[in-house]
Amino acid sequence: MTTTDDSLSQPQHEGHRGEETDVTAAERIPPGRNPRHFGIDPSEPWPDDVPMDQDDTHWRYEHDPKGARRAELRVAACWTVTLLASLGLAVVYIIDANNQLAGLCWALAFAGLGIGLILWARDLMPGHDVIASRGHHDVSAVADRVAAAESLSRGVDAMARRSFLTKLLLPVGAVFGLATIFPLASLGPRAKADLTKTSWGKGTRAVTQDGTPIRPTDLPVDGILTVFPEGHMDDALSPTLLINVGTDNFRMTKANQGWNIPVSGGGNIVAFSKICTHAGCPASLYNVQSKQLVCPCHQSTFDVLLDCKPVFGPAPRSLPQLPLTVNSDGYIVSQSDYTQPVGPGFWSRG
Amino acid sequence: MTRILRHRRLLAGPAALLALAFVAFSVLFLTGGSAHGQQALVSTNPQDIADGQALYQAHCQSCHGYQGQGGVVKGAPALISVGAAAADFYLSTGRMPLNAPNNEALRHKPAFTQTEIRQLVAYVNALPQINGTNVSGPTIPTVQPLCSDQTTATTTDQNCVTLGEGQALYALNCAECHQAVGSGNILSKGNTIPSLRAATLVQAAEAPLIGPRPMPMFKEFTPHQLSAIAHYVQYLHKPDSPGGAGISYMGPVAEGFFGILIGFVVLWFAARMIGTRG
Amino acid sequence: MSTTRERASARKRYSIGKSVLDTVDERMGSSKFLTSVFDKIFPDHWSFMVGEIAMDSLIILIATGIYLTLFYVPSQTDVVYAPTSGHVYLPLVGQHMSEAYKSVIDITFNVKFGLIMRQAHHWAALIFLAAVIFHMCRIFFTGAFRKPREVNWIIGLLLWQIVSLEGFTGYSLPDDLLSGTGIRVIYSIVQAIPFNIGSWLVYNLWGGRFPGTVFIPRLFVVHEFLFPLLIVGLLTAHLMILWHQKHTDFPGPGKTETNIRGSRIWPQYALKAGGLMMMVSAATFFLAGFVQINPVWLYGPYTPFNVTAGSQPDWYLGWLDGFVRLWPHWEFRSFGVEIPNPFFPGLLFPGIIFGIMFAWPWIDKKIYNDYGSHNLLDRPRDKPFRTGFGVAAIIFFAILTVGCGTDILANNLHIGFERIYQYLQYGMIVGPVVGFTIAFRTCKALQLTDAHPIQKPLGGVIYRTSTGAYHTVGEAHGEDHGAEHAPAEAAADGRGAEELHSPVGGD
Repeated sequence: MTTTDDSLSQPQHEGHRGEETDVTAAERIPPGRNPRHFGIDPSEPWPDDVPMDQDDTHWRYEHDPKGARRAELRVAACWTVTLLASLGLAVVYIIDANNQLAGLCWALAFAGLGIGLILWARDLMPGHDVIASRGHHDVSAVADRVAAAESLSRGVDAMARRSFLTKLLLPVGAVFGLATIFPLASLGPRAKADLTKTSWGKGTRAVTQDGTPIRPTDLPVDGILTVFPEGHMDDALSPTLLINVGTDNFRMTKANQGWNIPVSGGGNIVAFSKICTHAGCPASLYNVQSKQLVCPCHQSTFDVLLDCKPVFGPAPRSLPQLPLTVNSDGYIVSQSDYTQPVGPGFWSRG
Repeated sequence: MTRILRHRRLLAGPAALLALAFVAFSVLFLTGGSAHGQQALVSTNPQDIADGQALYQAHCQSCHGYQGQGGVVKGAPALISVGAAAADFYLSTGRMPLNAPNNEALRHKPAFTQTEIRQLVAYVNALPQINGTNVSGPTIPTVQPLCSDQTTATTTDQNCVTLGEGQALYALNCAECHQAVGSGNILSKGNTIPSLRAATLVQAAEAPLIGPRPMPMFKEFTPHQLSAIAHYVQYLHKPDSPGGAGISYMGPVAEGFFGILIGFVVLWFAARMIGTRG
Repeated sequence: MSTTRERASARKRYSIGKSVLDTVDERMGSSKFLTSVFDKIFPDHWSFMVGEIAMDSLIILIATGIYLTLFYVPSQTDVVYAPTSGHVYLPLVGQHMSEAYKSVIDITFNVKFGLIMRQAHHWAALIFLAAVIFHMCRIFFTGAFRKPREVNWIIGLLLWQIVSLEGFTGYSLPDDLLSGTGIRVIYSIVQAIPFNIGSWLVYNLWGGRFPGTVFIPRLFVVHEFLFPLLIVGLLTAHLMILWHQKHTDFPGPGKTETNIRGSRIWPQYALKAGGLMMMVSAATFFLAGFVQINPVWLYGPYTPFNVTAGSQPDWYLGWLDGFVRLWPHWEFRSFGVEIPNPFFPGLLFPGIIFGIMFAWPWIDKKIYNDYGSHNLLDRPRDKPFRTGFGVAAIIFFAILTVGCGTDILANNLHIGFERIYQYLQYGMIVGPVVGFTIAFRTCKALQLTDAHPIQKPLGGVIYRTSTGAYHTVGEAHGEDHGAEHAPAEAAADGRGAEELHSPVGGD
């Protein structure tokens, strides 16, 4: 495209298929009106003076055979990389399928192919800059719209003549729709009240991961241990933290009186649910210095000495405490299940 | 060829050399092959204790008190019954000495040489005796070696550990704070959970025993379990990473950062190069 | 210069091509349609390529995903890891795990090229979502969602949401320690759906109490079948509508509401698009080869009582996790019901935010009292309120996303996480307001000066006319064919010809 000095004050988009249009793009815009704000008014007739198919048949190295040859070689070089990388891929697979070498070969193969294609298009192909009409896709002709509306009303009228049936269809459809939910009900059992119940009960021994029961003397001051109700390792709500809070001032209320196990020679063992009351992660990061339990998911922090009251983060409720005692064999057992609901809340919990 | 050569060399070698190698190997094997393997883990040599006392008086007494009785500075505990493991852990990780008792004890370059640490540990180990109490803390644990064959699911050998045992114990007791790959994290009140990538075998076995605050204590671990954890922590220094750069083993946050930064931004520039900019 | 031979071979090529097309046409009557396909014009502004990056990532995801399906075992059956052949990953020997987790370990260590496929799949997902979100921002800020394209905005939003969930289900399938924790949190959020629906749903989805034994197999069906079906279906609709309505375009020389300017699909755009897809693949596989992602063998198998510090979702769901973290510890109980804490940040507010997003095309109509059709895009500066609103939304989402890494951030900055929470909680309210104000004012100022907000002011090119007058014309920048179009480019701001006499900046 050659630009003459005079064409500058009148920018024109020259068509390359030889069909010069007498109306340029800039001229079609009324003076002073910003084309950005030039909306389509559906009531206006569609402008039919749009320049059609001004095609850019030129390509970058059209007039530079040497440059075109160089561009061709560039593309060929890129694809050679792909070729070599593909062979490399085969070699890597046969040798030991090393992930880095494989990644390198895949990446080079793809990149060679891709850059080659892009360079080919950029340097050696026409059709960069084309202007064409959008056509009349947005709005149909008035006659077509009328025809569609008439076809629609053919059915609507027929339905309206039997309005009773039409009105009946809605409730029938709704009831039937509800009935189709029943196959879904087979997916699982009905929700029972056991959403917050655990496997702890009267006299359930607390055991470690490998099933060993615990004696109070097993847990030193500042010690922490994850325990399970014996025989119920797989119950996701039951994991419990045994903590020896030492001689620190553990807050005893009327409710949790006698739920702890004093250890002779200093120590005081308490048990709290490991399941966070916020979103159910195991809240088990124990900060001995501040006697706090932290949940690794959302950083809810519970003060163990204050009966695991939440002191920071999104958790709304204390971690429930498990009433402990020692059975006749000297092992730590629970007095009962948790008296508070375990785990995160839900609507019907009340 | 090589087999013959080796054969010949073995035949030619003096029997004494073989015997020596055997002795060295068994000593190494029995003591777990740790850094402390060549000598007793904690020295009871009076000279070491005396040297340790001198060092103690110069560097520790101002806070921990005369003969480890504590009570000098608030927050500095008595050391009489802390045991050799605690002394070794705090000194060899450079957590002690601390500038002020309120500072957080974090890993530093050790302030003392290995010999000095050994002497100080000997002194702390002797403190119950010196003070006339009989309550002594945990001593430096002996780390059992890794089993030579770890591919069988159940090992009956109680004298060696497998990484499998270590992983299971680590996942239950350590990963919640130190992160699954030992990258560390943070506790409440700004307390640091250190990365475990610098912990030696012995340090990794000592920490659960002594519970260096704010970490709780895991005294219930058997020496076997401690060894398994220590070996797994050791493994985490350079865990199997066939997939490439570990990006600090931080998890999805680091991955997301990389995905957006490297992956997407590169492609964004590619798009800018292909497309026009108007 | 064309020789006789060249002309002859051109004729031959033409007749071969024509006979192929004729064969098809005699059966399908396709020639008119195919002409429109070959001649279709795509505006090739760089920002329009981002949606394509998303589509390319999807293709990579489908390809690598199908490969992984051939090896993955969707089962929660408990097995003990004790392989007798192949590479044995020692730290897991003797451990209980689900068959699903074991199969992922096998893909990693015992399937040649399995690991790179798994990593490519994961990286492609991260890039996919980045592209989707960037694409969404582009559509928003340029007003491309306006009539007649409201439906495609809705479909796009649906795609974003389904794709995010698809990502989450994929993250959960390996059943490792990290993903199991993620499922636990989602269980709690589902449980927080109002009234009994939540409890009913969790029992039905998980087949009973968490964790159950059916969730991973069901998740597999969702990840492999249900969501891909929805995604491909919606994407097809998205593209067909786009095809029918044609691209929007930035205002520029020769561009009106009724025409379109760009490259023809054949051969120019097809090659470029193919090249871009190869580049997306290259970037994905480069990352897959050199940067390890989601090393599940190091995380270990999931058990409900184990957890790892630094449990986070993948970045695109970070905003949801961040919201759940930053939301205050409120929980309401009265009249026999309890409104659980995760309900607000996990369900209610995302619902409100999505509602606003879905309704935005109509909100926008009301704000600007503009009910007309538009094919030319807005420049963001010309719609300061919309731009400000979008910037506020981006800041809001960004702060929530940062919020999903509170612990990592605190650890790296050596600040207590308590303070990080406080900063982010304030930031989540103040940030969007500040962002809106700054963006709004910047837009207003840019309208006045018409300078580019980022690029440096460009020097103009001075031309002398034949009558001796001088004109300074803004320099086109960057394009390979820019120089020859310099005067045309100058009008790219959409000003009429009469404004060309003053120096202008590029846009």
